[in-house]
Amino acid sequence: MMTRRFSTLAACLLLSATALTSPSFAQNDAGKAVYDKVCVACHSAGIAGAPKFGDAKDWEPRIKTGMNALYESALKGKAPAMPAKGGATDLPDADIKAAVDYMVAAAKGGAKPAAAAAPQAAPAAAAAPAPAPQANPAALNFNRLLKPASKRNPPPPEDGIHDPENDGTHALQPPLTVFQSLPRSNAGNRVDWVKALDTNQIGPRWDRTDPTAAPVVMDLNIVREVKGSMPDVVYPHKQHTAWLDCSNCHPQIFIPQKGANQISMAAILLGQKCGVCHGKVAFPVSECRICHSKKKNVMPVKNAQAN
Amino acid sequence: MMPSGLRRIGIALACIGSFLTTPVFAEYADVVLNRMAEKEGMRPVIFPHWFHRIRFRCKVCHAELGFKMRAGSNLVTMGDIIDGKFCGACHNGNIAWAPENCDLCHSGKPGLPPGIFGGHDTNGPGRW
Ligand code: HEC
Ligand code: HEC
Ligand code: HEC
Ligand code: HEC
Ligand code: HEC
Ligand code: HEC
Ligand code: HEC
Repeated sequence: MMTRRFSTLAACLLLSATALTSPSFAQNDAGKAVYDKVCVACHSAGIAGAPKFGDAKDWEPRIKTGMNALYESALKGKAPAMPAKGGATDLPDADIKAAVDYMVAAAKGGAKPAAAAAPQAAPAAAAAPAPAPQANPAALNFNRLLKPASKRNPPPPEDGIHDPENDGTHALQPPLTVFQSLPRSNAGNRVDWVKALDTNQIGPRWDRTDPTAAPVVMDLNIVREVKGSMPDVVYPHKQHTAWLDCSNCHPQIFIPQKGANQISMAAILLGQKCGVCHGKVAFPVSECRICHSKKKNVMPVKNAQAN
Repeated sequence: MMPSGLRRIGIALACIGSFLTTPVFAEYADVVLNRMAEKEGMRPVIFPHWFHRIRFRCKVCHAELGFKMRAGSNLVTMGDIIDGKFCGACHNGNIAWAPENCDLCHSGKPGLPPGIFGGHDTNGPGRW
C-alpha cells in the first residue's frame, strides 16, 4: 500500500516534469504564468537592478525603447544580470514575449494611456504593487516538489554547496554562461552532451596534453530485450566510446559479451551497471526514453519484411 | 509482469522529490572531496564535472589519471597534487593554473560530506 502511494507520487512527478518542459500555457494566462514562475525571482523585488514589477518609474525609460527592444532583451538577455529568457531557455519565445507584455501592462497600471507623461505615471506606481499576488507564494507553487526553472544551473555562490564567503567562489564560472550556447536537454546539466560533441560545439581532449589525439569510436549497438511493456533498451557503444575507454566498463562493470550481464532497473537505481554513470554524471535515469528507445512492435515488422 | 519494477522506480522517484525540497540546488555532477581537507583546516574541495568535461573526455581522468568512478574512494593529498598526480596532473601551472590558488578548489561550505551533489537520482544504498 505504501509503495502504491509512492508510485502514484512518482507518476505525478513525471507528469509534472513533462508539463514543465513542454509548456503550452493557455494564451491569455501565459504571460502571468511565466512571470510567476520565472521572472518573479528578480523582477518582484528588483534584484540586481531589474526593473520592478508594476513600478512605472523603473519601466518608463525602457518602454520608450519600444516593445521589440524589450522582447529582444528578454529573449537574448541583457548585460549584466538579465539572463536570456530569464534562465528558462527551454520556454518557447512566445511565452517569454507574453511575459514581457504582462510586465509592461502592469507597469502602465493596467494598460492605460500610451503616451503617458511622468506625472501620470507616478500614481500608477503607487497603485500597481498591491494587485501582485504576494501572499505566501512558495506555498501556492504549482509544482511544489519540482526544481523551479530559476533554480536550475545556479551560479556557484548560490548553489548551496559553494561557500559564498570564500573569495575564490566568486571567481568560478557560472554554468549558464556556457550552457546557453550549447544544445539543451531536459535533465541533468540540461545540456545534450552527445549533441554538443557531435556538432563540435565542444572539443574535449581525448589526451591530457595532445589536443589532436582522437578516440577510436566503436559503432556497435547492443539491444537488450525488456520483459513487459517498456520499450527495449538499445545500448550504443558509439556515444560511449566517444567519451570513455573500454577499460572504464570492461570487465569490471560489464563482461564484454552480449547478454552475459544481468541488468535491471533496481541495480541501475542502486548505482550499479548503467547507474554507475547515469544518474550521477551522464544523463539521469528519469529520461527513460533515451535508453528504452526501441519500440516492441518494430521487431515483427522487420521479420515480416525479411520473410 | 512489471509492476514490481515500476513500483521500485516509483520509490526512487519519490526520493528525488524529497531531495528537491532541500535548499541545495548544486549543479548536476558536482563532487565534494572532503576526506581530509576539513580535518586539516581547509574548506572542502568542489570538483565540477560540467566544467572539466567540456575540456576533457572522461577517459583522461578515469582511465589515465586513475580517479576511481566512486565519490569518496580516491585518497588525494596535497603532496600528490604538488607531485603532479590527480588534480596536479593538470593544475601544474602548465595545462591549468597551479595549486597555489587554494580557494578555487577549496571552495565548499564547511561541513559538507564527501559525495556527489546536484539532481542525481541514483546514489547507492543510502538513498535506496
Ligand atoms: C536573474 C534575474 C532575472 C530574471 C530571472 C529575469 N530578469 Fe529580466 N532583468 C533582470 C535585470 C537585472 C534587468 C536589468 C538589465 C539592465 O541592466 O538593463 C532585467 C531587465 C528586463 C527587461 C528590460 C530590458 C530592457 O531592454 O530594458 C525585460 C523586458 C525583462 N527583464 C524581462 C524579463 C522576463 C520576461 C523574465 C522572465 C522570463 C525575466 N526578465 C527574468 C534580471 C532578471
Ligand atoms: C585533465 C586535466 C585536469 C584535471 C585532472 C583537473 N583539472 Fe581542474 N581544470 C582543468 C583546466 C584545463 C581548467 C581551466 C583552467 C583555466 O580556466 O585556466 C580547470 C579548472 C578548474 C577549476 C575552476 C573552474 C572555474 O569555474 O573556472 C576548478 C575549481 C578545478 N579545476 C578543480 C579541480 C579539482 C578539484 C581537480 C582534482 C580533483 C581537478 N580540477 C583536476 C584541468 C584539470
Ligand atoms: C559505457 C560502458 C562501455 C564501454 C566504454 C564499452 N563497452 Fe563494450 N559493452 C558494454 C555493454 C553494456 C555491453 C553489453 C553486455 C551485455 O549485453 O551483457 C558490451 C558488449 C561488448 C562486446 C560484446 C558484443 C557481443 O556482441 O557479444 C564487446 C566485444 C565489447 N563490448 C567491446 C568493447 C570495446 C572494444 C570497447 C572500447 C572501444 C567497449 N566495449 C567499450 C559497455 C561498454
Ligand atoms: C562509465 C560510464 C557509463 C556507463 C556505465 C553507461 N553510460 Fe551511457 N553514457 C555515458 C556518457 C558519459 C554518455 C554521454 C551523454 C551524457 O553524458 O549524458 C552516455 C550516453 C548514453 C546514451 C546516448 C544518449 C544520446 O543522446 O545519444 C545512451 C542510450 C546510454 N548512454 C545508455 C546506457 C545504457 C543502457 C547503459 C548500461 C547498459 C549505459 N549507458 C552505461 C556514460 C555511461
Ligand atoms: C541508462 C539507461 C536506462 C534508463 C535511463 C532507464 N532504463 Fe529501464 N532498463 C535499462 C536496462 C539496461 C534494463 C535491463 C534490460 C534487460 O533486461 O536486459 C532496463 C529494464 C527496465 C525494466 C524491466 C524490469 C527491470 O527492472 O529490469 C523496466 C520496467 C524499466 N527498465 C523501466 C524504466 C523506466 C520507467 C525508466 C524511466 C524512469 C527507465 N527504465 C529508465 C536501462 C535504462
Ligand atoms: C587543484 C585543486 C586544489 C588546489 C588548487 C589546492 N588543493 Fe588542497 N586539496 C585538493 C584535493 C582534491 C584534496 C583532497 C580533499 C579530501 O579528500 O579531503 C586537498 C586536500 C588538502 C588538504 C588535506 C590533505 C593534506 O594533504 O593534508 C590540505 C591541508 C590542503 N588541501 C591545503 C591546500 C592549500 C594550503 C592549498 C593552496 C596552497 C591547496 N590545498 C590548493 C585540491 C586542491
Ligand atoms: C578532470 C577530471 C575528470 C573528468 C574529465 C571526469 N571526471 Fe568523473 N570524477 C572526477 C573526480 C575528481 C571524481 C571524484 C572522485 C572522488 O570523490 O574520489 C569523479 C567522480 C566520478 C564518478 C563517481 C560519482 C559517484 O557518485 O560515485 C562518476 C560516475 C564519474 N566521475 C563519471 C565521469 C564521466 C561519465 C565523465 C565524462 C563525461 C567524467 N567522470 C569526467 C574527475 C573527472
